[in-house]
Amino acid sequence: MSIATQAETVAADSAPPLVLRLDGIHQVYGAGEAAVFALRGIDLAVASGDYLAIMGPSGSGKSTLMNLLGCLDIASEGIYELAGHNVSELTEKELAKVRNREIGFVFQSFNLVPRMSALANVELPLSYGGVRRIERRRRAMEALDMVGLVDRADHQPQELSGGQQQRVAIARALVTSPTLVLADEPTGNLDSASTEEILSIFDHLAGQGRTIVIITHEEHVAQRAHRVLTISDGLIVADRFNEGIAR
Amino acid sequence: MSVFEILRSAMRGLTANKLRSILTLLGVMIGVASVILLLAVGNGSAQTVQNAISNLGTNTITVRPSNGGGGGGGAQASSSTSTSTSVKTITTRVSDQLASAGLGHVKEVVPQVTTSLTISSTTTSSDNVSVIGSTAGYFDVSTTKVASGSAFTQADVTTSAKVAVIGSTLATTLYPTGSALGQQISVDGTPFTVVGILATQSSAGFNDPNNVVIAPLTRVQKSYTGYGAVSTLTVEATDSDSVSAAEGEVGVMLNQLLGVTDTTNLPYTITNQSSLLETAAASATSFTVLLGAVAAISLLVGGIGVTNVMLVTVTERTREIGIRKALGATRGAILGQFLAEAATLTLIGGILGVVAALIGSRYQINGTQPVIIGYSIPLALGVSIAIGVFFGVYPAARAAAMRPIQALRAI
Ligand SMILES: Nc1ncnc2c1ncn2[C@@H]1O[C@H](COP(=O)(O)OP(=O)(O)O)[C@@H](O)[C@H]1O
Ligand SMILES: [Mg+2]
Repeated sequence: MSIATQAETVAADSAPPLVLRLDGIHQVYGAGEAAVFALRGIDLAVASGDYLAIMGPSGSGKSTLMNLLGCLDIASEGIYELAGHNVSELTEKELAKVRNREIGFVFQSFNLVPRMSALANVELPLSYGGVRRIERRRRAMEALDMVGLVDRADHQPQELSGGQQQRVAIARALVTSPTLVLADEPTGNLDSASTEEILSIFDHLAGQGRTIVIITHEEHVAQRAHRVLTISDGLIVADRFNEGIAR
Repeated sequence: MSVFEILRSAMRGLTANKLRSILTLLGVMIGVASVILLLAVGNGSAQTVQNAISNLGTNTITVRPSNGGGGGGGAQASSSTSTSTSVKTITTRVSDQLASAGLGHVKEVVPQVTTSLTISSTTTSSDNVSVIGSTAGYFDVSTTKVASGSAFTQADVTTSAKVAVIGSTLATTLYPTGSALGQQISVDGTPFTVVGILATQSSAGFNDPNNVVIAPLTRVQKSYTGYGAVSTLTVEATDSDSVSAAEGEVGVMLNQLLGVTDTTNLPYTITNQSSLLETAAASATSFTVLLGAVAAISLLVGGIGVTNVMLVTVTERTREIGIRKALGATRGAILGQFLAEAATLTLIGGILGVVAALIGSRYQINGTQPVIIGYSIPLALGVSIAIGVFFGVYPAARAAAMRPIQALRAI
């Protein structure tokens, strides 16, 4: 409880608006004897411009939490408010719209659509958002430019290195200018050079005032965030701000 | 997304596994091709039947003696040898009486006697040529026209002139080098002058209709068949709407003239060409429907192939569906994507099927020249797209209903 209070106090002090708020979130997989209690009461508030890292041992519930934040799954219990929407009350169609407009998701395994060029992959969220072709192309090229891959726009995923694929995925997550950028172990499958490239992109985004939530189990990755949340066994066990990082 | 973009994205999905797409497409193609082609075969045979029958003339009724008396045979045939004692047979006298009876719907009565004789020129001869003796009216009621020269006249009939109009096959047999017109032919020893040659007629039966001699009735009776029963009376109705009425009038009048008392055992049969045509057309239609149904089954099988391949595709691309949903794709967008793929698949199959059918219809199939029914092409194409949509809906709906997190977990 004291941990949540700390976050809320900070939010109230400097008064940046809240992007999301979790209240008593539980997530249970299965039922009866086989039930797995992946999240057991999570309270969390994330303010606009936060760069939050979530740490914790394997199986502690990090991905489960991330999937809820990304509206890919619905919590068994509790309240989730995202950019003013009460997510548990949204219809299927509204959820799709929230995923499209408010969230940019970066996966550990890149998850680019195969046999589609980098450009087409980046355009995909825009076409689901009903953006016209010319505008779509322009914004997708801009996003690719931001991750330094304009010259690879016509390459298909299988023609790109892991680091390049992840940069395309980041461009795809950013192209709609989402309220919240989520990344579940984005560097988990990458070598140290590519990891550094990805992290510097996130640094840059944080500098621009984007709200970012990143899962990692590497301390040096977490060090670059403003705020580090530690989860264990489905509960938040620590919530601290990194020293010496200007907000 | 524009139609073009949707198609392009559908093509991308289909080319991911080319062999599988091609095999599925082949199923649809065969289905569509067989629908168009078998309907064309049915249509072709219907047209053949109709052409053959309309060659006989549709305004006419044919009366034939029913107890085998016939006219062909020989000089010994006479009314006294007929089976019935009291009932008379149809002779030229009866024919004349029928013609002058003033029947309202009857325009003309043309008696015919037929026999089969050897015809020869100075150089060659031809056996078993059918010889028809008739009046000048024959050329009115028959669809066979005189191509060169002229028909014989009623005066020729009155004078039993030794003149003949012959068929084109016979003309070239007897006079292979020059024209037979104006030449002498010998009909079983009697010399005749060829005054006309008939236009070539398409064959509707076993006998060549162009191997024929048509001569004045009186001459054929006098020299060959005698004055017994005629083989056929062709009655022409005043117009095509009066055929049934004429049939009734002729029946009543004939019964009177022949002294028929027992109408259940008539000494003649009346055939109405237009009713024959209707029967033939009806049977041709049901034949076409039957062929169409068989072909439709193969199209159905092709459609089931589409469902099968789309189910496999959806399973294989579950993860892609998860990614798309995570990016904000609605159910409708996913449904549309997979439906577009299925419809594109069947549309391409349909187009290739049409092409195959067009090529196939240039060849005779089992002796029938297929005639493509115009509407069958858009119909088959439309049906093939509909099949793609219909058989693609279930797999596509399954894809659309997946929860994003479930779909993303798929390997
Ligand atoms: N779909 C699922 N069905 C059942 N149990 C699950 C499912 N997903 C995750 N879990 C369980 O929930 C717990 C948390 O998993 P997860 O959130 O993936 O952990 P982390 O990402 O921190 O490694 C684990 O015990 C895991 O086995
Ligand atoms: Mg995880």
